[in-house]
Amino acid sequence: MGLGFAIGFVGVLILFHAAYSTIQYRALLKITEEEFSGSPLSVVFELSLGLLLCTWAALTVPGKLLCIHPDSEENRIVSLPANLDFMIFNHRGKIFPVEMNEKLRH
Amino acid sequence: MVTKTEESQLNNLEIQVDNGGGGAWEYLSLVRKLKVRRSDKVLKHGLSILNDSNQRSKLGAEEWTLYEQVAVAAMDCLSLDVAQDCAKALRKRFPESKRVGRLEAMLLEAKGSWEMAEKAYTSLLEDNPLDQIIHKRRVAMAKAQGNISGAIEWLNKYLEIFMADHDAWRELAEVYLSLQMYKQAAFCYEEVILAQPTVPLYHLAYADVLYTLGGLENVQTAKKYYASTIDLTGGKNTRALFGVCLCTSAIAQLTKGKNKEDKEGSQLQSLAAKALEKDYKQRAPDKLSQLTTALKSLTLS
Repeated sequence: MGLGFAIGFVGVLILFHAAYSTIQYRALLKITEEEFSGSPLSVVFELSLGLLLCTWAALTVPGKLLCIHPDSEENRIVSLPANLDFMIFNHRGKIFPVEMNEKLRH
Repeated sequence: MVTKTEESQLNNLEIQVDNGGGGAWEYLSLVRKLKVRRSDKVLKHGLSILNDSNQRSKLGAEEWTLYEQVAVAAMDCLSLDVAQDCAKALRKRFPESKRVGRLEAMLLEAKGSWEMAEKAYTSLLEDNPLDQIIHKRRVAMAKAQGNISGAIEWLNKYLEIFMADHDAWRELAEVYLSLQMYKQAAFCYEEVILAQPTVPLYHLAYADVLYTLGGLENVQTAKKYYASTIDLTGGKNTRALFGVCLCTSAIAQLTKGKNKEDKEGSQLQSLAAKALEKDYKQRAPDKLSQLTTALKSLTLS
């Protein structure tokens, strides 16, 4: 969790730095009076690195993804709960009483 | 609802606890959460926690939940002394509680003193006429005394007030099934499916009832519900696969001579048969020959 946050933070910082570099680059272009055709290669690389780090952090920080298929092992219902509200005690277990020698001691 | 992962988790924990590996409290919590009925184990492990004052004090306020759980489990195992002691301890802690009153009435039920239990429930209902659990206990009491028609009457009265209670619909369906009143049971299962359409076991139960009722239309509907069960379980429910095969052969028999061939139906059956064979090969190879003869007799007839 902490690691994910740290990496996400670094990613955001890198993105900001890339934006700042692009602005500076454009200011430089204005002085030399050249046309702006695209960011320099180093900024593009920085941008993709920042994006990668941010994506990784966004996928790991919120936790594990759960399966939504009804037939997956986590969601497949194999038995219903015993209807305990309608539980009756007058059943065939009476014939085979549980051997309980223990009692509640206080 | 108990899913596959939860079931295996419960079984693993049970083995661990039974062999003295610890984790009794986790096991008891899981039993409570999944609402399964394992009264003998709950009684054994719950009592050992309650008797150990060190472990008990660790639970904090959960201790009283455990008392209640153990009391009900003790009634189910007919260890009435333990149940009585638990109820006493709870009464000492919560002198005015209705919930403890309910537990004491259940204890009377377990002892078989029906009139006194009935009186206790009536007085509890006077205080709170909309207590669902007490209404349900009265149904259960009628059932325990063998008064099935009385139980049906109570349940119908209850369902007129609390129509959205799918557990009660399920109980009514099961009571009707025990009396072989399949039409009424089918109606109840329809209500249950409406309330919880994603539970494959309700589809399966409804299909079983329809298949038992018989008649071309019912069997056709049953086949559809078996198919939806297969859809929801990913083909891992053996009963539904067999159901599709049986329905197809029953439909073929009913429409014999009418020359109304249903090509899609036969394809569904062969697919189900293939899935069954694959499953048997994996899990019970020695019973595979029995399966193939059974399936052959279905297609021939």
